[in-house]
Amino acid sequence: MNEPTDDREFSADEMLAAEYALGVLDGEERAAAATRVAHERGFARIVADWEQRLSPWAAEITETAPPPDMWDRIAAALPAAPASNSGLWQSLAFWRGLTFATGALAAVCLGALVYLGTTQPTPQQGPMVAAIDGGGQRHFVASFDQARGSIAVMPASYAADATRVPELWVIPADGKPRPIGLLRADRMVTILMPHDLMPMMTQKAVLAVSLEPQGGSPTGLPTGPVIGTGKFASL
Amino acid sequence: MDLEANRRLIAAALARVPGGDRAALQTVYRLTSAKLFGVALRILGERSEAEDVLQEVFVTVWRKAGDFDGNRASPMTWLIAIVRNRAIDRLRASKNNRRMDPIDDAVDVADTAPLADDALEMSEDNARLHGCLDGLAREENVALRGAFFDGNTYEDLAQRMNVPLGTMKSRIRRAMIKLKLCLEATQPAEQST
Repeated sequence: MNEPTDDREFSADEMLAAEYALGVLDGEERAAAATRVAHERGFARIVADWEQRLSPWAAEITETAPPPDMWDRIAAALPAAPASNSGLWQSLAFWRGLTFATGALAAVCLGALVYLGTTQPTPQQGPMVAAIDGGGQRHFVASFDQARGSIAVMPASYAADATRVPELWVIPADGKPRPIGLLRADRMVTILMPHDLMPMMTQKAVLAVSLEPQGGSPTGLPTGPVIGTGKFASL
Repeated sequence: MDLEANRRLIAAALARVPGGDRAALQTVYRLTSAKLFGVALRILGERSEAEDVLQEVFVTVWRKAGDFDGNRASPMTWLIAIVRNRAIDRLRASKNNRRMDPIDDAVDVADTAPLADDALEMSEDNARLHGCLDGLAREENVALRGAFFDGNTYEDLAQRMNVPLGTMKSRIRRAMIKLKLCLEATQPAEQST
């Protein structure tokens, strides 16, 4: 084998990916690398390539049967459905997924679920429409039906991302994004608005779409790039 | 070959999971849990900890199976990476059951060679990896193994091999560069990324 090459033959990203895949990082360095894997497709690929390189090593590890009741324990821990279904079910599964994932958010999400069916109309207007544009592209078109308390979002020129899903947010006057739900590249979705977000759906609010990991942002705030924004206009 | 058939079965079952198919997830479990449990157990050293990790991993797979891209990665590689990362996170959080016995790299390291049983079903990839690992200096090989199999950090390895931290970092980085160059040089033409 050729002797020694030095560190400069790897870019900083390549070295970090190798260290992360091997598992030698600790503390903040490891956490930072894990965050990049979750949000940067390019970096995640470099890490995956390293995982692939090292994977044959696992053949050396002795197989060990887990306890017989292990599957039952896993089955009992599964949320109702994976977060990749569609339509209203998608947003329910999405909330359940979040509820399952993060105890802190659980109360908030359950609250949103309870109110899902009890939307009450606020002062009547016609349907409001927003185009969600960014980077010279019209990504989605949204139509908010105040009477029904639902928002329908149709993909325009949005091109599906291989690993991330588009998530819709409303940003009211206080500037803090609230999650509305996950969108799809291949068809329109209709999302029942959480009751507490209804008053925010005004012409002053900004709608935004960010790219998030499957199942949606794990934090309740956008974690990936915002690809487009738009404001409502009344029809 | 058995390995290839197994890989296809796992990939096919994994592809049905994002639709909410519990039986498919159970099939993935049946085909992979002994290996995945072995990986977690090897890093964590305690059955109860390894069981917790296995449960977390399958809940993650249930939620994230849509992320798996069968065109880019092998299903076992994807699953093992999830297990290793969960196990390592748990190890880092607990800090007290790391494998920390000193490694004397002057002594012959018998287990750098694959076991006879494994050699029988060793894939081509495995043979290439071992060929390249054999080309590393012994202390490089031992350090990489400590990281991969025991979940050691740079600092753990520096302590176990009794060298300064900086020495350990450059040792492992140099080894990773050599490893990649060797694997690329011996690689049959593969789809580029």
